[in-house]
Amino acid sequence: MNSIITAFAKGIEKSGVKPSMICVPSDIPFEPEVVDFLGVDFFHTTRGRAIPFGTGLKLGNPALKVVPFIGGMMTLGGNHFVHGSRRNMELLVICINNFVYKKIGGQSVPKAAPAFSPYSTFDEPFNIPHLGNSCGALYTARWTALHIDELANSIAEALNKRGMSMIEILAPGPNYYTDIEHIESNVLNFYYENSVIKNNEDPRNVEITPEKKIVVGKFTDKERPTFLETYNTQLGSVLGDKFIPYGFVPPQNKSGGRNGGD
Amino acid sequence: MKTDPRAVKTGVYYIDGDVAAGLGALAAGCKFIGGYPITPSTEAAEAFARVAPSAGAMFIQMEDEIGSIASIIGAVWAGVKSMTITSGPGYSLMMENIGFGAMLETPFVLLNIQRAGPSTGVPTKTGQADMMQSRWGSHGDYELIAIAPDSPQEMFDYTIKAFNLAERYRCPVMIMSDECVGHMTEKVVIPRAEEIEIEPRRFYTGLPNEYLPFKPDADLIPKMAKAGDGYNLYITGLIHDERGYPVKNEEFKSAYVRRLVDKIRLNKDKIIEIKEDGTSDAEVIVVSYGISSRVAVRGIERAREKGIKVGNLRLVTVWPFPDEKICALAKTIKAFVVPEINYGQIVYEVDRCSHGKANVVLVPHGGSGVHNPDDIFDAIVYAAKQERKIEGVIEYKTKLEKMIFGGGNKLKE
Repeated sequence: MNSIITAFAKGIEKSGVKPSMICVPSDIPFEPEVVDFLGVDFFHTTRGRAIPFGTGLKLGNPALKVVPFIGGMMTLGGNHFVHGSRRNMELLVICINNFVYKKIGGQSVPKAAPAFSPYSTFDEPFNIPHLGNSCGALYTARWTALHIDELANSIAEALNKRGMSMIEILAPGPNYYTDIEHIESNVLNFYYENSVIKNNEDPRNVEITPEKKIVVGKFTDKERPTFLETYNTQLGSVLGDKFIPYGFVPPQNKSGGRNGGD
Repeated sequence: MKTDPRAVKTGVYYIDGDVAAGLGALAAGCKFIGGYPITPSTEAAEAFARVAPSAGAMFIQMEDEIGSIASIIGAVWAGVKSMTITSGPGYSLMMENIGFGAMLETPFVLLNIQRAGPSTGVPTKTGQADMMQSRWGSHGDYELIAIAPDSPQEMFDYTIKAFNLAERYRCPVMIMSDECVGHMTEKVVIPRAEEIEIEPRRFYTGLPNEYLPFKPDADLIPKMAKAGDGYNLYITGLIHDERGYPVKNEEFKSAYVRRLVDKIRLNKDKIIEIKEDGTSDAEVIVVSYGISSRVAVRGIERAREKGIKVGNLRLVTVWPFPDEKICALAKTIKAFVVPEINYGQIVYEVDRCSHGKANVVLVPHGGSGVHNPDDIFDAIVYAAKQERKIEGVIEYKTKLEKMIFGGGNKLKE
């Protein structure tokens, strides 16, 4: 998680977006210190509902940059991701996936992580970039917690993207029963040895299986009108002068930075 | 503060309760509704969606009711007044986020046009069986406000009031209407914008580094900030301290939840609105709300023609419950008669507050229709005859129930 936050901070700095205009609705609680460090507004929402909460934030004030962090592997609230992508709602969804940790064959498993599946897991994981892309998300990427610079670049790009973006991050999920050495020696080493960067790879080919190396990279970067743009176009064409365009976005202040949250 | 004139469709209309509520929301300054269509509440969302684009407001059809309520809580924190609209099954889906909204002290309005339950029930027919759900539906301790309008005009007026209460007390406000009121078409007068008083959000205006988002004022209600204003908000559904940071210890937990319930309980006198008629010298008082209060009027008229002293107590605000009022009246009368379209919800509150001082008679109804006023009349006559206190709530057998289940009245008359 620390490396993701580092990459997020770098990404915000690089993007030029003012941190105080960034809102992070998340179904995973951040440490308050992290939020202080980033200078963003943080909302710890109900489980799986970070995307619709973020949709409300964005439509309540379209000038905000909304970055939902989700950790449920598209189980709780997966439907919100599907429909957020379909609408092309202007969100950057950060999907933190610690699933690989226990899924990939042959890797040591933390003592208590598979508490719900004591005999190991057997069902197929989601190919999240493919899901996002096929539902209409504009920008899809996947990185691991090791690829800090690449991840920061992706975040910076996606923050300035007008439309739904998603970045899947493979990161170990430490819990009360694992120690940090265990994570460093096993998981990060595993990411190092088993990931391969393939930018522009067709998202259909990036599923995570025990047989193949994990494909990371920026997969897609498309353009189409956002929800608010299509809303304003459609209602403007039907209602003419009577329509009050929704959500005029004032120009972004580019002078932000890590401590720009004044 | 006066409302935005663009959002007020001043005039005299012949519209149904749903449409009146949709127009009421606009007039109250609601700028965002996230909703999902469900009978019999859809017309309210339609009315809002039709007028909103020319009033600077937005309606979005979300993917489901959970997304709807999550989106309006988000929109409130982005700084706009928001509402969602639903009925039975959708209301059940929203429960988790109602508690979340109460925990975050988020002012929003939820319009529930109750239909006959349980489960899918009868989507197109009426019910009043969500009343306890509106109070206790989400897990944990919290307090909120629930209002039960009984006419299209009230749907307009009390939607505005609901927004004002939500902003004033920073809590979710439920409008617990029902299908009959929602689909009842009557005259509705929408006043001019300058006659509509709305409660502005109480925003914090001090320095960001001094801001504590959950530090209450003297009235126990903290000032709000909105996202994007540089306050570096940390807002969580975990128990939190004044900074908003999560804490686990029991002192904080107790203090926080105590304030969450006290800000409503200690302000009950200001929040509660009831309408009463002839209660001062009554021997029987009919306690009702929503559509049942309209039906009760005829039963009360007939009983008065017979010379029975009947009072009419209508709960406009159902939650918080007017404990003291019922308790005081119980000492002066023989019995309460409570007609409601369920098998006993608010009647148990009446019984609790009457402390055994008066008989409490429930006139039940299974839903899909409203009471026959004759049943309410009969129940009043029955209640007026009883001298002895009968323990617990007495369930009066209505004509419909006698017809269905045969047999006579199980009560000895």
